[in-house]
Amino acid sequence: MEKKSLWKRITGSREALLALILILLFIIVTGFNSSFLTPSSLQQLIKNNAVTMVMALGMLCVMLVGGIDISIMSTLALSGMAIGMLLKYDYISGTIVPFIIAIAIGIVCGFLVGLVISRADVPPIIATMGFMYIYRAMGYLISNGGEWASASALGSFSDFATTKFLGLNCVIWIVIVCYVFFYWFMKWTRTGRKIYAVGSNPEAADVSGINVKNIKLLVFTIMGLLSGLGGALQVGIYASAMPNMQKGGEMDVIAACVIGGVSMSGGRGTVIGALLGSLILATIVKALPLVGIGSLAQNTFKGVLILVVVVVNIILQRISDRNALKGREM
Amino acid sequence: MSEYILELKGITKIFPGVKALNNVQFQLLPGEVHALMGENGAGKSTFIKVITGVHKAEEGEMFLDGQKVDFKGPKDAQEAGIAAVYQHPTSYPHLTVAENIFMGHEIVKNHMIQWNAMYAEANKLLENLDADFDARAEMGTLSVAQQQMVEIAKAMSTNARIIILDEPTASLTRSESEKLYRLVDHLKEDGVSIIFISHRFEDMYRLASRVTVFRDSQYIGTYPVDGITNEDLIKAMVGREITTMYPKPEVEIGREMLRVEHLSRAGYFKDVSFSVRAGEILGMTGLVGAGRTEVVEAVCGITHAEEGKVYLEDEELHIRKPADAMQKGIILLPEDRQKEGLIMSWGLGRNVTLPTMGKYAKHGLNDNKKEREISRDLLESVDTKAVDIFQPASSLSGGNQQKVVVAKALGQEMKVVIMDEPTKGVDVGAKAEMYAIMGELAKQGYAIILISSEMPEILGMANRIVVMCNGRKTGELMRDEATQEIILDLSMEKAGRKGAD
Amino acid sequence: MAGKSGRSINNVPENPVKKMIFSWEGILVLLLIAINIFCSIFSEFYNLSSLLRQMPVYLAEVFLMLGMAFILVMGEIDISVGSIVCLSATLACLVSNAGVPFPAVFLIALLVGTCCGIVNALILTNFQELPPMIVTLSTQIIFRGIAEIVLGSGGSVSVTNTDGFRAIAGKVGQVPYILFLVLILAVIFAVILGKSTFGRSVYAIGTNRLTAYYSGINVQRVRFIIYTVMGTLCGLCAMFLISNSYGANTTTGENFEMDAIAMAVFGGIMSTGGKGNIAGGVISAIIIVCLRVGLGQRNVNAQVILLIIGLLLICTVGLPNLIKNARQSLKKS
Repeated sequence: MEKKSLWKRITGSREALLALILILLFIIVTGFNSSFLTPSSLQQLIKNNAVTMVMALGMLCVMLVGGIDISIMSTLALSGMAIGMLLKYDYISGTIVPFIIAIAIGIVCGFLVGLVISRADVPPIIATMGFMYIYRAMGYLISNGGEWASASALGSFSDFATTKFLGLNCVIWIVIVCYVFFYWFMKWTRTGRKIYAVGSNPEAADVSGINVKNIKLLVFTIMGLLSGLGGALQVGIYASAMPNMQKGGEMDVIAACVIGGVSMSGGRGTVIGALLGSLILATIVKALPLVGIGSLAQNTFKGVLILVVVVVNIILQRISDRNALKGREM
Repeated sequence: MSEYILELKGITKIFPGVKALNNVQFQLLPGEVHALMGENGAGKSTFIKVITGVHKAEEGEMFLDGQKVDFKGPKDAQEAGIAAVYQHPTSYPHLTVAENIFMGHEIVKNHMIQWNAMYAEANKLLENLDADFDARAEMGTLSVAQQQMVEIAKAMSTNARIIILDEPTASLTRSESEKLYRLVDHLKEDGVSIIFISHRFEDMYRLASRVTVFRDSQYIGTYPVDGITNEDLIKAMVGREITTMYPKPEVEIGREMLRVEHLSRAGYFKDVSFSVRAGEILGMTGLVGAGRTEVVEAVCGITHAEEGKVYLEDEELHIRKPADAMQKGIILLPEDRQKEGLIMSWGLGRNVTLPTMGKYAKHGLNDNKKEREISRDLLESVDTKAVDIFQPASSLSGGNQQKVVVAKALGQEMKVVIMDEPTKGVDVGAKAEMYAIMGELAKQGYAIILISSEMPEILGMANRIVVMCNGRKTGELMRDEATQEIILDLSMEKAGRKGAD
Repeated sequence: MAGKSGRSINNVPENPVKKMIFSWEGILVLLLIAINIFCSIFSEFYNLSSLLRQMPVYLAEVFLMLGMAFILVMGEIDISVGSIVCLSATLACLVSNAGVPFPAVFLIALLVGTCCGIVNALILTNFQELPPMIVTLSTQIIFRGIAEIVLGSGGSVSVTNTDGFRAIAGKVGQVPYILFLVLILAVIFAVILGKSTFGRSVYAIGTNRLTAYYSGINVQRVRFIIYTVMGTLCGLCAMFLISNSYGANTTTGENFEMDAIAMAVFGGIMSTGGKGNIAGGVISAIIIVCLRVGLGQRNVNAQVILLIIGLLLICTVGLPNLIKNARQSLKKS
């Protein structure tokens, strides 16, 4: 009995399936390119996708309550550009202060989005579409109409992206800390579980005394916070800030979540899922050139991938519903 | 100190357009099981929501242990030891059973949820209830009966002193109901006071010591269960002799219109056959969840049956969607007026002409003048109490909304009209009017299928009665051979089997 | 079966003129006048002839608003339109350069748009459980992605034979053809949405999908038609874009979905479905076009205009709700 339930839990769990897919992908990619599965190459993979990976955590929260946020990359550009310009004109220096500023800007941006959605009942897609343009435009405006902040202008800020701490790149440490924190937050705190409750059944959550509006405000603020962090990371990793950075990148984040099993209608999704989803996406994108799909076709491929994942999900759901019905005794 | 654990006085609750509760009172003794009865729409559910703090009453007072209380929200009621198990479990389908039980009062230590402790505690509660599932199971994968058990466990986990069960047996099989009875006995022994809402007299006799009856949003009376008869109760609930309610006209039964043969849909119903003739009212009854609605939905193309045939006037039909069914002359008037029957924010006129607007359009453009005339005529023909055809459907009372739904069916040549619970949530006066309309339609030669859970309605209106249980047709009775007892037996017939799995 | 009580129900509508003045469309007309006054003060070049000369660039998006209005009234959303415009424009340029005669190019652009619309429609009607947002979000990347593949590493294409495109960019006197086309299509779409049984069923679906279905409306067919026509309109938009820029690139049509949605929503068409009409959408579209021409004449950054449109979008949806909520909480206390 115990053994069976354990086996059932592994085969029935979405995360196990995703981990299996990831391992398979690793094996296939290593077949094409034997240097793929080396520690340095894997570190590079995570570092290059650190922004997406971190922001997937915020998108997880947003999608858990049945929302979506397509303004995130504009928030990223605004906060990244802000610290870029501040560094360029020597208002600030170092590493910690720019990080704090970027995160603070992100929190404010996310808070505003959350206010509009939770208090003015604007549908998330409309609200975040509006803010996508507003924040992007503000990013342009603070860049004096399109200036860049290049590596030399950033000074010592981007050094963290090339320094190692205990054998691991600092960027990777940040990703790890974020994931560990969120794993704890979503699973072990009451607030984390409230997010799940609101996504699973908002009416029931309301009846059991959870403030649904505040939870919505919270998730969009978390999303903003992580977008701000993403902005600082982006500027650090690529050692430059420009107003149009990561344009369209929100799709990668959404794709990572969708692949990781986060439901579009809310209530379903885990931190591990988001992690595996973003790693799978990153590996696939890295593998595409190896199988002869050029960089030009990458976007098309990503789009098709999301579509296939959501459609296959629906088909699987239909099959399992049908089987459940057939099993019902009459 | 009052002798009552819970007492409510002079409660009035007003919703836009309706007085849902009118000066009602209620007293609950410590450790008693108190049945609350009344027809659909009598105000029972609203009353429960007032007790649990979901709704706030406009007038009236509530006393707990003799102390006046004023709940601001559901949380206050919870803290005061009142828990409700609603008719439709209000659970979180994606979360585990343990989380559902402990939502809002998780076991927390140093701001960390103690999962193991929660699972252990939840399993202990479930064991007490003799449950056959684990606290780690996902809520959405459980059956309705199991989910209800979780809700009861949840109520117990808050150490509730008063537990309200809102129609808990409505979707349970007989053996599951028996289990629930034992559970209620068990709770009673522990000193918990229980308010039990049910339509089934059986439940009341088995469990309750006193019964309170509501009718038309008003308090009728509280009676000891010993010494009360079915007739007394029905009279209290309905407010008049049953025979006068059902003006069933003598109608010449015509030829067969609709015939359904061996219809099956996996998981919903199996091998269902019946037929209905012109001028005949065919009653379909059974417990909630017996598959009645699902059968007629498949007939009308809303869902699709996997096996079986449907004939209209001996011609086989292949219906894929409701539009096809209407084309052929079959219309379903759905149970849920607000979600399926009407567009509440639209004017009455547009609602009435929605199924037929294509019929009198010119080159695809609406003929507004003709539409207005037709919709007025239709609305007047069913005697709708409305000022004009532009007022929104939401401004009408439940009974009048139902008349508008019926009017929708009359705008075109229909042969078969299927009414799913047409008097649900309708006051007594409007009910009688509904029955009059039904009789009129039968006189005009419509074949009518009446789906209803209300026994007197089925017995009073139907020429023939089809009884379903658990997805199967368990019997067919002629009007003069049907009694409450036979129908009840048939609708529970195979119920014992399901509890096995 | 006459009513027994003989109660009679009024079926004479109120005087429509009174309703019209106090409607959102009435306010929009006033706003249009105000915007024109503002623009003529803001820019010394702003007058009717400069407006007519400069408006065609922006008018192409109004086609998209017409289709988007139907989709929004239905309570859904299509954010792939900008990408469909990009793909149609790209392919139209390429076939034109391959020597295909102009009328055929025109048809091909419409056809490409229609096909993209059909792709959306097929997915959405076959998998009704999927939210339109996620489907059109992924087709948004796919359609633009295909354009990126077709355009290759250069990322842009120019038409070599511009005769046909010059022709459709022509004018009658000072009035460009496209303005006529926009107005004609607006009237047709307004009649379909406002007066036809098809339009009525769109409103029914947007207000209460289940009731519409139970009342015999073929919901999936209506959705299929609307998403397909949306695609065709994107093709049309693409042709007029090329007639202005004589080429296409990977960023062609970017942000168009937001512009179209903003125009419709600002025009009183609720994103939650069931409310609004084409007239409001067209007036608000003209307001936005005038604003863009006026601001453009003083070289205001395009980003600022996007910012204004974004704010407009959020405020028109959010403010009424905010006021309603505030009123309710006042009432409660």
